[in-house]
Amino acid sequence: MKFLTVLPEFIPSSSVKETINQILPEMEIVNDLNFEKNEADVLVATTFTSLGREELKKFPNLKYLQIASTGIDNVDLSYIKEKGITICNIPVANRQSVAEQVMAFILVFLKDMVFLNAELKDRKSWPLLTGSRDLEGKNVGILGMGAIGVQLAKRLIPFGPSILYYDVKRLNQEEEERIGLNFVTFDGLLTNSDIISVHMPLTPQTRGMFNHETFSKMKDGAIFINTARGEIVDESALIKAVKSKGIKAGIDVYSKEPPDFESELFKLDNVICSPHIAGVTTESQQRFLTETISNVLRYAQGIDPLYKVEL
Amino acid sequence: MRGYDAFADAITTLNLLPVFGNPGTTELTSLKSLDDYVLTLFDGLSVGMADGLSQFTFSPHLVNLHTILGLGNSMSYIYSAKMNYSPVVVTAGQQDLRHISMDPLLSGDLLGFIGNNVKYKHELKNASEISSVLTRAIKESMTPPIGPVFVSIPMNLMDEDFSYSPPVPPVADFEFSNNEAVDAVADLIKASKNPALVFGWEIDLFNAFEEAERVSEKLGCPVFGETLAHRAPFNTESQMFAGNLLPGTTLINLKLLRNDLVVFIGGDVILYPYLPSPLLEGKKVVFVGLNISPKVGEFYKANVRSFLKGLEGKITKKCNFSRPTDFQMTTKIANEKERMGVTYVMSKVRKQFSDFVIVDEAISSSPIVRDVLGYSPRRYFFSKSGQLGWGSPAASGISMKEDKVLAIVGEGSFMYSLQILWTIKKYSLPVKFLILRNGGYSILKSYSLSYSPGVEKKDYLSFDLPTEKFAESFGIDSMVAGKELEELKWLKEGKESKLLVVDVDRSIPKLFL
Repeated sequence: MKFLTVLPEFIPSSSVKETINQILPEMEIVNDLNFEKNEADVLVATTFTSLGREELKKFPNLKYLQIASTGIDNVDLSYIKEKGITICNIPVANRQSVAEQVMAFILVFLKDMVFLNAELKDRKSWPLLTGSRDLEGKNVGILGMGAIGVQLAKRLIPFGPSILYYDVKRLNQEEEERIGLNFVTFDGLLTNSDIISVHMPLTPQTRGMFNHETFSKMKDGAIFINTARGEIVDESALIKAVKSKGIKAGIDVYSKEPPDFESELFKLDNVICSPHIAGVTTESQQRFLTETISNVLRYAQGIDPLYKVEL
Repeated sequence: MRGYDAFADAITTLNLLPVFGNPGTTELTSLKSLDDYVLTLFDGLSVGMADGLSQFTFSPHLVNLHTILGLGNSMSYIYSAKMNYSPVVVTAGQQDLRHISMDPLLSGDLLGFIGNNVKYKHELKNASEISSVLTRAIKESMTPPIGPVFVSIPMNLMDEDFSYSPPVPPVADFEFSNNEAVDAVADLIKASKNPALVFGWEIDLFNAFEEAERVSEKLGCPVFGETLAHRAPFNTESQMFAGNLLPGTTLINLKLLRNDLVVFIGGDVILYPYLPSPLLEGKKVVFVGLNISPKVGEFYKANVRSFLKGLEGKITKKCNFSRPTDFQMTTKIANEKERMGVTYVMSKVRKQFSDFVIVDEAISSSPIVRDVLGYSPRRYFFSKSGQLGWGSPAASGISMKEDKVLAIVGEGSFMYSLQILWTIKKYSLPVKFLILRNGGYSILKSYSLSYSPGVEKKDYLSFDLPTEKFAESFGIDSMVAGKELEELKWLKEGKESKLLVVDVDRSIPKLFL
């Protein structure tokens, strides 16, 4: 059985090679797909490597594709299905990290930290009355109740907000009650939420789902957070909503990455940005590595791998 | 006919059986021809059982107490029956009148002792009064304001031989319609900018739920439940229900701050802690009902059902109220599971016991019990007197006519009427007990925090009671619940009485301003 790992260019292969080869000495590690053909049966890649039909055709023997991240929108899933290739992701490694990043966005906005920081440091002023608000009693709408959505809800609950969620597949009632979730329609989530956080995968159905129409249904002054995929949001509609409805936005992902730094998005006071880093922490990288290697090992030993993606 | 035969025949004819009681020597002669008897091992429990059953069936039931001593033991229960508008016919034996001037053992001024806690009281002068006095007692008890009555029965009269005429059971008529009230209230609503409706227990008494909902929907106005409603004031599933009023003037004023007209229908205002703001000052306030005695505003006497039927045809839309969805409840439930908060516990109870009659004597948890379980017709009972020890016998009384009864009682309250378990076992009553054990008098601690800080720390307000062992000692199956509350299924199963203890959060709830 032949194994190949493709790392994005910004992760030098030498940095992880030693670790991986301790466990799987036969694993080949490369930083690009600049070859005609590869005999690998097992391919490991991250979300940063485009695996379209043409790239995948380079692997005629491919039986198992392990994506070392949560998102798999870089993969041509129709080809994978056609060829009967097993595809797995790692949905457990960065869900905590993303959930924490969303908490940070929420609290920074509610507590008006950016404004207060500027008041003291830049304007040397001492404001006695601010727009700072509590999370308790707010309605937080979580769009997508997968692994990250659940982690976010669990972190939110002790703060005392109501959690609304919408997903194409509803959790069972017991699970909802255990976590403390209220299932609502997408429209119900838009109109009732004080804070909305997106945790949907990018699919033809979710592409552009936050547009002029959906932003118009949101409450004025609501907080909108996207740590999922940039293409889920029409950025021009978001910019308009920030300007016309006072929407505050915490944005980690962009329709084009790296984004156009001249975009108006980066000039708005009510927008806080991070560079697609919500799931990337020191701890999450370690978890990705461990989970990925352990899943490939399972496959190599003839054991069903975990986190199979249903196609 | 002998007095005891006449007494037995009269109460049978008047549909007053069974007799609830705990007899003494002064009652023995009156019981000679009576077998349909429910014994309680403490006098007051008889009244509590009759109170529950009378309210549930909306018909009078009879209690036979042991002269002034049994009466004394029962006074708090009689007071509760009065506050609950419960048509309990209380009787008690009196010493033999032939030597009453000698103040014999067990004699006493029964009529003076019972005072104004009943609406009619009489001591029989001779056996021939039995039919007429019992008939009048029933009539009085069922004439609004409905309430308990008292008949003292000198023991020697029970042996008297006399010519007996059986009574004719009186028919209670509550169809008291009042067109003037309908017109007046309709005019007030028409002139109002933002009216609110407050419904009370008479909605349950006269089964006016549908009428109440239709009127509120037609008006589009929010509906509140009266303070400390002792029966269901409204269908809480309705989108028009805006919550219960709390028993303090300021709390009521704040809830109704934006309403210029407040119409109380079939309910009253019961206050608890003193708060300085005058009640609903500057607002138009009107009460409609048969049994209530409002302290402010205008009052119209009318049967609430016929009143609402009349009002429906004379009103138009005034507001567009619709209760916002309560998303917060699920957060509370999830947050409270670890510490066994009452909201979490009640959310589980709601799933298992939605078709049960709830008798609520979990005093410090009652607001949560009401909010989570909600109100539905003839499915909620509470004592408006504030008495502890009422719930267990009242639930037992109801369980004589209804198989599905759940008493939710604090472990402190439960101790007041522990002996009821003996009666439950003896008569195989199907009542289920859910004991919320919070380690003390939580309502006192909460009150102390607000109005007498420091008292809440006194060690005599806290206790650890092995309630489940008490139940076992009476032969009642019992369990202590775990965190998942799976034992609720066990509690619900079967027709035999069971008791489940839930160790709930012991932190002091914030119930007062």
